[in-house]
Formats: sequence, structure tokens, C-alpha cells
Amino acid sequence: MTTTEMRLATEAAEPRRVPGQPDMWVFVLVEALIFTSYFCVYLFSRTQHEQAFLQSQSHLILWLGVLDTIVLLTSSWSVARCVQHSRAGRYREAKHAALLTTGLGLLFLVQKIFEWTALIHRGHTFTSSEFFQHFFFLTGMHCLHLLIGFFVLGLLYLQLADPRKRSQETVETCATYWHTVDFLWVLIFALLYVVR
Amino acid sequence: MTLTDWWDSPKRELWFVWYATIVFYSLYGFVFFVVTRTQPPGKPWLNPDEVVNWFAGRHDGLLIGFGLIFSLGGLSATAIALITYSIRRMSVSRAYAYSYLLLYGVSAVPGFLFICVAMTAGAMRPDRDPALQQWLYDLGFLSFAGTMGVFFIGSLIWMAAVLLDTNGVFPKWFGYLNLCNALTEVVTGAAWIFDRGAFAWNGAIVWWIDVAVWVPYTVVFIHLLRQVILRDDFGTGRLPELPPTEPVRRAREEALVP
Repeated sequence: MTTTEMRLATEAAEPRRVPGQPDMWVFVLVEALIFTSYFCVYLFSRTQHEQAFLQSQSHLILWLGVLDTIVLLTSSWSVARCVQHSRAGRYREAKHAALLTTGLGLLFLVQKIFEWTALIHRGHTFTSSEFFQHFFFLTGMHCLHLLIGFFVLGLLYLQLADPRKRSQETVETCATYWHTVDFLWVLIFALLYVVR
Repeated sequence: MTLTDWWDSPKRELWFVWYATIVFYSLYGFVFFVVTRTQPPGKPWLNPDEVVNWFAGRHDGLLIGFGLIFSLGGLSATAIALITYSIRRMSVSRAYAYSYLLLYGVSAVPGFLFICVAMTAGAMRPDRDPALQQWLYDLGFLSFAGTMGVFFIGSLIWMAAVLLDTNGVFPKWFGYLNLCNALTEVVTGAAWIFDRGAFAWNGAIVWWIDVAVWVPYTVVFIHLLRQVILRDDFGTGRLPELPPTEPVRRAREEALVP
């Protein structure tokens, strides 16, 4: 039997399971539903005042939104690498990947603060138009999830750093949370910046 | 189980408190949605004369309904007591239970008493200056929809306790559900800024979506509190699981037979 065949046989023998703590997927599902309902409200408001929304949308800094997306997608890639390293027992590399993820998350936060400041200086605030109500609300809620994500990444790092506490399930649960933050951003980016 | 068995059960007091919780939430829903018709909330953009008409249309309902709440609203303490009891059964520090207890000890004020007082005062003197009636109307709805900070922190405390607990008092998914609920509580702050649209106190995001999360969350935690009482052994350490129901037991047995 070749190595690949042995690996496939082992995988087939193992029961299929979701990554991380299965309970965490309740959070992913409920948050996805809640954000879907926010998106529905946004899209409904948009159909009521399409021209006003388009006009406000044109004030967004598209390249910054693209950059935000690239940064967060890269952070998702690095947290996935962290999980892979941890599964293979390469905890030093896993810790580096966790730090890289945190750094990219911080970069995203700085970019977002820069974008908000630039928009507010140009007179686009939470109360200036209906589009910007939704914009600041959705990006603000997403940033709240991001801030919780830093706490989660801290937990992940501590798990990797302390051999007595290491739990692959917790590492995967933390990574699942971070992927959720990324997934929500991709939807927000598509709706607020791209859809015209 | 006969009535005598139930009466002699050491869990009698816990069941009494659990049923009182059911009575409270049923009363709460009935009074706010049916008797006073203050939920879903009135329109924030009503002018003073329209507000006077709003009070006139609900005069008797406001006085009777909120009279009931003033008499029986203290039953809200039963849910808080049961939750505190369940947190004390966890492996986490008792600081979680006491924080929750203290925080929710004041929750009735923003949770429902403020709106009851403001609306009852409005209904009491319908001939009052319309501008003052509008002030009471705003105070009532803003205090109800816009003061969710207590519940935000409370949900986070409960979440932390559930996720850290090793006694298995609540399932872990409920800890995550607490986080979902907490995050929807933050949103309501926008009600202080807008008087129309999705972010007003009756808006799609501030009210409808919040309620769509809060109602299932409340049903779930009441059900889970019932499970905790059923499983309670008045001991320490891991809370025992309930024996499987007959269909589950049979299915497990069949699964074991090759």
C-alpha cells in the first residue's frame, strides 16, 4: 500500500467531523442569519431610494475596500496555515501564523479607522444619508466582531504557547471564528462597495 | 409522577420558580402586545396631537395592563434567580453569578418599568399639554428600546460562564448563542439618534431583528433551565445527563446491533 493509499484509508476509517467545536457552528449559522437580515434591510432601503444610494456609494474609497478584502483574506489564509501547522505538531510555526493573522487584523482595523475618518472629514457621517447609516452600521458591527476576534486570537496563541493547554479543537474553533469575520466582510464588501 | 411525589420532591421550590418564570414572560408578552398594544412600538415620528390620539386610543389598556405589571412585574426576579443558581452550579468562579445577579437586579428598570411609568403617566391625564404627552411617549419608548447595555454585558457574563464551565450545566452552543444575543443588543443604541427608518426605535434593525433573535433566545434559555432542574443532583462536579428517552435508547441499541 502506498503512502497516499494509506492516508486515504485512514481518512475513510475516521468519522467525518466539522472542524473545531461543533457548538461553534451555531454561532456561525445564527450570525450568518442575522447579517443576512441586515443585508435584506439594506437592499430593501436601496430599492426605495436607488439614485440616492448610488450617489452616496460613489463617495466610498473603492481601492481601500479592495485592500481591506485582500488583507482579511490573507489573514484567513494565515489562520488556516496556523491550524495546519498545529495539526502537524509544528507549534512554533503555528504561533508565527497566529501572530501574522493578528497583525493583518490590526492592519485591517487601522485601514478601517482611516477610511471612517476620511469619510467623516468629507461630511459623510452616520446621520448624513441613509446609505451611510447602513455603511457605518454594517462596518461598525463587523469591526465589533473583529475586536472580539483579537481576544479569540489571543486565546489561540495561549493555547499554542502552553504545552499543557494545547487543544486542537480550541485552535480550530478560534480559526472558525476568524473565518466568520472574514466571510462577513466579503459579503459586506460586495454589497456596499461593489453592487451598483 | 403524582402530585404528592411532586410536592415531596426536593426540587419543588425550583419548579415553583421555573413556573413563575413562565408566568412572568407570558404576562409580559400579553400585556405589551395585547392589552396595552405598546409593542410593536408606536411610530417615533408622531406629532404631539397624534401622540395625544395614541394615548386616547389605549387609555384603558395602558392603565389595566401596566397596573398588572406594577403588581406582578417582580416575578422577573424568578428567571434571574434561576440563572444565578445555574451559574453557581458551574465550575466557574461565583463572581460570574454575583455579577449577573447584580446586573440583572437593575434590569427591570430599563427592561420594562420605565416605559410602564411613562405610559401610565401619559394615560392618567389625557388633557395634559400635547408637548408633554409627546415627551412621555418618547421617554417610554426610548427607555425601552435604547437601554440594552445591561443586557449586553449580562449576556456576555453568561456566555463566559457557559464557555468556561466544565460541569456541563449548559451546552456550549448556548454560550455562543449568548454572544449572538449580546451583539444584537448593541444595535439598539441607534434609536437615540434616528426618529425614522431601520434604526429608529420601531425600525427593522433596532426592533424587528432584535426581537426575532431575543424571542427564540428566551424560549431556548427557559427550556434549558428546565433541563438543568431535571438534571440537578444538588451536588458538585459534573451535572449528570438525563437518561435517554425511549426512542433514542432503542435507536442506540439498534445501532449497536450489526
